[in-house]
Amino acid sequence: MSSYKSHDNRAWLGVLPVVLIVAFSAVIPLMTVVNYSVQDILDFNARFFVGLDWYRETLHDPRFRAAFLRQAGFSLTVLFIEIPLGIAVAKGIPKASRITPLVLILLALPLLIPWNVVGTIWQIFARPDIGLLGVSVNALGISYNYTAEPLHAWLTLVAMDVWHWTPLVALLTFAGLTAIPLPYYQAAELDGANRWQVFRLVELPRLRGVLIIAFLLRLMDSFMIYTEPFVLTGGGPGNATTFLSQHLATMAVGQFDLGPAAAFSVIYFLFILLFCWLFYTSVVHRDDA
Amino acid sequence: MAGVTLENIGFRYPGASADTLSELNLDIADGEAHALLGASGAGKTTLLNLLSGLLAPTSGRLLFDGRDVSRVPGSKRNVAQVFQFPVLYESLSVAENLAFPLRSRGAARADVADRVGYVCDELAISGLRDRRPHTLSQFEKQLVAVGKALVRSDVTLVLLDEPLTAVEPKIKWQLRQTLRKVQEDLGVTMIYVTHDQTEALTFADRVSILTAGGILQTDTPAEVYQSPTHEYVGHFVGSPGMNFVPSDALGVAVGERLGFRPEWAVIDADGQLEGVVKQTRTQGTRNGDPFGVVTLTTEHGDLSVRGKAFVKVGTHTALRVRRYVAFAGQRKVGAGELI
Repeated sequence: MSSYKSHDNRAWLGVLPVVLIVAFSAVIPLMTVVNYSVQDILDFNARFFVGLDWYRETLHDPRFRAAFLRQAGFSLTVLFIEIPLGIAVAKGIPKASRITPLVLILLALPLLIPWNVVGTIWQIFARPDIGLLGVSVNALGISYNYTAEPLHAWLTLVAMDVWHWTPLVALLTFAGLTAIPLPYYQAAELDGANRWQVFRLVELPRLRGVLIIAFLLRLMDSFMIYTEPFVLTGGGPGNATTFLSQHLATMAVGQFDLGPAAAFSVIYFLFILLFCWLFYTSVVHRDDA
Repeated sequence: MAGVTLENIGFRYPGASADTLSELNLDIADGEAHALLGASGAGKTTLLNLLSGLLAPTSGRLLFDGRDVSRVPGSKRNVAQVFQFPVLYESLSVAENLAFPLRSRGAARADVADRVGYVCDELAISGLRDRRPHTLSQFEKQLVAVGKALVRSDVTLVLLDEPLTAVEPKIKWQLRQTLRKVQEDLGVTMIYVTHDQTEALTFADRVSILTAGGILQTDTPAEVYQSPTHEYVGHFVGSPGMNFVPSDALGVAVGERLGFRPEWAVIDADGQLEGVVKQTRTQGTRNGDPFGVVTLTTEHGDLSVRGKAFVKVGTHTALRVRRYVAFAGQRKVGAGELI
């Protein structure tokens, strides 16, 4: 049948909705930002092409570098805590018990709370004068004040993020654990494997997929964190908890430096893309080896 | 290696209203290849889990070589198991997989190398030693899983849970041959659980037919086939299974019902049981004549005969039964021949 093989260009019409959606949701906004990033915009009528000047300036900006280091430190810290802790929590969830659904719901609660509410909860919770956490810690004889001490602010933010997002890692891991067929455990038992060997040889290899997803999600999300620190510390004390997104918001919305802010955004975006790509390819390459 | 004895073993799952297994008695000799044959729901998996130590019997005793192991956990029972699909440690190489059960029990390095080498030779998998499981075929993986079960010299009992399920039909027989050969070479006590009668009858020294009501018969494959002690066994074993007719239909005064194998009868217009040919299934030729199974519809239901298959569908004819087993209350009460 020749009509079977002939091309019908009307088929392109079928793709059109997708092209339009992707264009308006991703490509056009991104290109607008790229467009801003190569201009100096004084007002809507006065704009000059400046090439890569804003990029150069951003990369050499000590405040950007400081924010970037803080951001990387924060993301690494929460990842190092949330992934192992999430696995440990998932291992503790009863697998096929009557209380399993209840445990899962309780565990998922922090994920259901709006992010600014999470910030508010912790802001009050950690207040040294009236907050349960703040008052308790001080009552233990440890001087704690997250609004004045950079280290305390930092610890409070990490604690909040761990509280907020470890359940995600735990739920993903739990889903992965329940997918492991029983005979793998039975065989390990008969082989005389200890609990650590069961974890390392039976569970961990089969959790790889969900752990990669959990790691990527937490990396991206923590790298873009904005609302919670904004509510909890406002980036302070000083600039101690000013992360990339907050720095960007100050530039773009506060100071209306659209050009530098756009260059900043593009760099920011490329960094996240690069991290995820590096992580993903390194994991996939290790698979092939 | 050791013998296995089940003494009045009963098991009920917590919260269940009835026993899954009750009053099971079975003696398996040291070095025997034993098959547990049963349809799904007969309690095969439960019995297997009792043997491997995953479950403990609610009543009765389980003895390995006279020692009561009913409450001993699986890791201390010296039992190995091969599962329906190959269960291996995917991040370890084949050699490391084989060595694992030894290493986890603190075996000396030289002993580990010895045993792994020995098992590799026995199963002819030396060439796979450095491969990772995910690069192997299902068949090779299952061979390695068998190797892992056999690697410990102190293993009392090897359990095989439908080990050919995941293997391609074409090479099922090959794996079965290998299993059989290894079993004979090493003199391992093996319990092979299956719902496939061909596997059970060709693998085992003795077969137990398990139903929800318990073990109906334990005997050699030939005895199980020729002399079923229960109607269900006659019906379940054989393809097609045993035919059953009332005793009076053949003029026999023994028992209530008579069972006869398809090859114990012939098509004969002057035979005892009249009927109409329903279908013929030719399976080959013998002495130039078509040979196969002929099914007749009679007043006692459909009856099958194995032999010359030249009759046409729809023909009114009869069959002559030459040999039978008699049952009363489903139990065997006698056997005889009709000339």
